[in-house]
Amino acid sequence: MSENHAIRELERRLRAALEAVDPGEGFTPRLMARIAAEPALAARPPRAGAVAGWLTFGLAASVVLAVLIAHEWQVRRLEQGREARRQLIEALRVTDEKLNLAYRAVNSQERAASAEHSGA
Amino acid sequence: MKTSCSRWRWLLAPVATLAASVALAAPPAMLNLPDFDALAGKATESVNISLDTSLLGLAAGFLDSSNPDDAATKELIAGLKGIYVRSFTFGQDFAYPSAQVDQVRKQLAAPAWQRLVQVSNSRDRTHVDIYVSVDRGVANGLAIIASEPREFTIVNIVGSIDLAKLHRLEGKFGIPKLDLHPEGKDAKPDK
Repeated sequence: MSENHAIRELERRLRAALEAVDPGEGFTPRLMARIAAEPALAARPPRAGAVAGWLTFGLAASVVLAVLIAHEWQVRRLEQGREARRQLIEALRVTDEKLNLAYRAVNSQERAASAEHSGA
Repeated sequence: MKTSCSRWRWLLAPVATLAASVALAAPPAMLNLPDFDALAGKATESVNISLDTSLLGLAAGFLDSSNPDDAATKELIAGLKGIYVRSFTFGQDFAYPSAQVDQVRKQLAAPAWQRLVQVSNSRDRTHVDIYVSVDRGVANGLAIIASEPREFTIVNIVGSIDLAKLHRLEGKFGIPKLDLHPEGKDAKPDK
């Protein structure tokens, strides 16, 4: 008997809880106002500490990147300089060699001419 | 097609003006050396050096002024605006086309260029022409065209170079030390 009574009591409470209730005239404006307020909550700026952390990280990353780029540039400049120096020495060597070739040819012509002259 | 051509016609005048100004900006003693890429494949040894003002400046920065040889080289290149060398060595006689060499030779015409030396050695079959570029009485460039049976070389130096100073560098940096002074009592040491 008591079991049936308990079930009936539960049913009654459920019906009472699920009974349709009129929210009143102010419900819709309240709901709309709350929806309008939600994005503003989402767009709230992050805390100053987090901003400072990201700024420090960004700054440190920029400094490391700048140092790496400067090092790479210096290494390339060094290689280019050494190569330019090597090419300069090679160019001067070839120039001197060809000037000497001309000198040798002029000299041999002069010798031939003087030998011919003294022979005549 | 006609429409697209006429669309770009307005660009022709400024491009032509720019091209003319670039041509005028090039130093007069600078030769237009042909593309010898095809020859490089045939050659057993090739030297292709193009050092403009900025590269010469860079090379000068790597010369140690406290070293006498480096200091002499620095002094030698101080007035230069460019050094261009094309040199090819072949495995057999006269394997190079003379047309491209003649193309360079044509540029070395008076009054801009004056031939300083023209020597031919029939025994060795070598020919060397040395030209200087003269502007208002001042030498501002040098060109050497040397052809041997298995080698031909074109050197173009833009700017004034002291050949005596270059000669003094002989025996340094691998520049061969050649005993070229004439033997006998008429010999004149030039060092």
